[in-house]
Amino acid sequence: MAGRYAVGALGLALMGLGASLVWAQSPWDVAVWLVGAIVLHDGLIAPLVLLVGLGGALTRPGVRGPLRAALVTAGCLTAIALPDILRPGPKNNATVLPLDYVRNWLVLLGVVGFGAVLVLAVRRVQAARRRRGL
Amino acid sequence: MKSRLPLPPPSALLPSFRGALHDRRTAAAIGRLLGVAMLVCMVTGVLSHYLQHPPSWLANDLPARPTWGYRLNQGLHVGVGIAAIPLLFGKLWTVYPKLFVWPALKGVRHALERLSVAVLVAGAVFELLTGLLNTVQWYPWPFSFVPVHFAVGWLLTGALLLHLAVKWPDIKAYWWQRSAATRALPQEPENAPDRRSLLTGLAVAVGAVTVTTVGQSFTPLKDVDLLAPRHPDHGPLGLPVNRTAAAAGTTRVDTAAWRLTVAGPRPYELTLDELAALPQYEVELPIACVEGWSKNAHWTGVRIKDLTERAGAPGAALRVVSLEQHGAYRVMDMGRTYARDPLTLLALRLNGQVLTPDHGYPARIIAPNRPGVLQTKWVTRLEVR
Repeated sequence: MAGRYAVGALGLALMGLGASLVWAQSPWDVAVWLVGAIVLHDGLIAPLVLLVGLGGALTRPGVRGPLRAALVTAGCLTAIALPDILRPGPKNNATVLPLDYVRNWLVLLGVVGFGAVLVLAVRRVQAARRRRGL
Repeated sequence: MKSRLPLPPPSALLPSFRGALHDRRTAAAIGRLLGVAMLVCMVTGVLSHYLQHPPSWLANDLPARPTWGYRLNQGLHVGVGIAAIPLLFGKLWTVYPKLFVWPALKGVRHALERLSVAVLVAGAVFELLTGLLNTVQWYPWPFSFVPVHFAVGWLLTGALLLHLAVKWPDIKAYWWQRSAATRALPQEPENAPDRRSLLTGLAVAVGAVTVTTVGQSFTPLKDVDLLAPRHPDHGPLGLPVNRTAAAAGTTRVDTAAWRLTVAGPRPYELTLDELAALPQYEVELPIACVEGWSKNAHWTGVRIKDLTERAGAPGAALRVVSLEQHGAYRVMDMGRTYARDPLTLLALRLNGQVLTPDHGYPARIIAPNRPGVLQTKWVTRLEVR
């Protein structure tokens, strides 16, 4: 119990330290970006994910797992590919962002889709074998 | 008389979540992984910060070993940060219904708890977003990245510790799949396979974002480095570059006029030919950038400790000055541990070739276990301190 309060108190102290360090920079600009981070996730990303999830929830449990894994993986790959693809302005030099990121992103989405189809196919074959008692 | 129709309560306008897995067991199972990731990022971030900007009392005692220390540290910081992105999405998805609890505020205690969670969510999204954009050198915000990323890191760590303290009973109760609390959840055990499949999906996503980016620092995986902002094979003499000679204004260094000036008890000057005639050593050391990319290279040059010995101050701490006119790292201070290390060179050659302008021609520093920005290029002056 005492340990729990100690961790909580340490947390509050570090939050105070962090806030004072932010205060020494440009607190209002940072506050706008912190609130913006919540709005970006809770107002945009999460509703989009839930919308996609509604579709996935209609599928059978056996299909749902691989489908969800594929969608989550594709979504996360997209999240980390977007900065590569969208970064505006001239690059510092030719060794910064040297690859064809749109191509690589599309290739990866293809690999994820192929992987999901493969898992589903293997499962279907296994289920059929079980039904035939093999 | 009650003539007015009753209005629906505000809670009826809020979304409801009937779907499974928005439960505490799922939150605990994802949360503990995310917590570990955040702590790794914090520890490596603080280490990196003090290796790059050491306080004066520490500057002469920073360790020069292991030679790959900073490389591992920064590879972990960026790699674990990227791996935390799927975990953060998963965790926030699980607890998303709590955003719409009604009544929104039940009292002071509830208000404070919600405020601390808001700081936690904002800090976590902010740190991962700004960190990811920094790796592609994209700065759409009006503030300075390094001090703000550092400051919000402390804010986030504090909010995380407070969250752990507040939620400790839940974390303990739902730690195990077969704990009494987990089995008492409304849709158990029917939910268990679905939860396992969700966690497997998240693990696949973590693996995918890691494998496609980690090759920028873990070179054995460079062939699947498809989404990292750097690639080990792209760069002059087989090594990526950050600050170019064009940016530094050092594209055409007049070799005949160039001198290395060493200031100390017995000051002296050397031409490039004289420097090249001194005993040369070959070392294998990485360039490891704070932005996460790194690569090993072979460097040939003169030991810094030989140069300071000749100035009458063997192994002394140094101030190194570059030819570049502007830039935050034009002047670099090197503590004693690095200056006296036999691996620390004023390098003239990289991977068997004379340095290119972008790699710091005619001479650059290479030292073990240091951030890339402190491996000063286009060196013209060493001052014993």
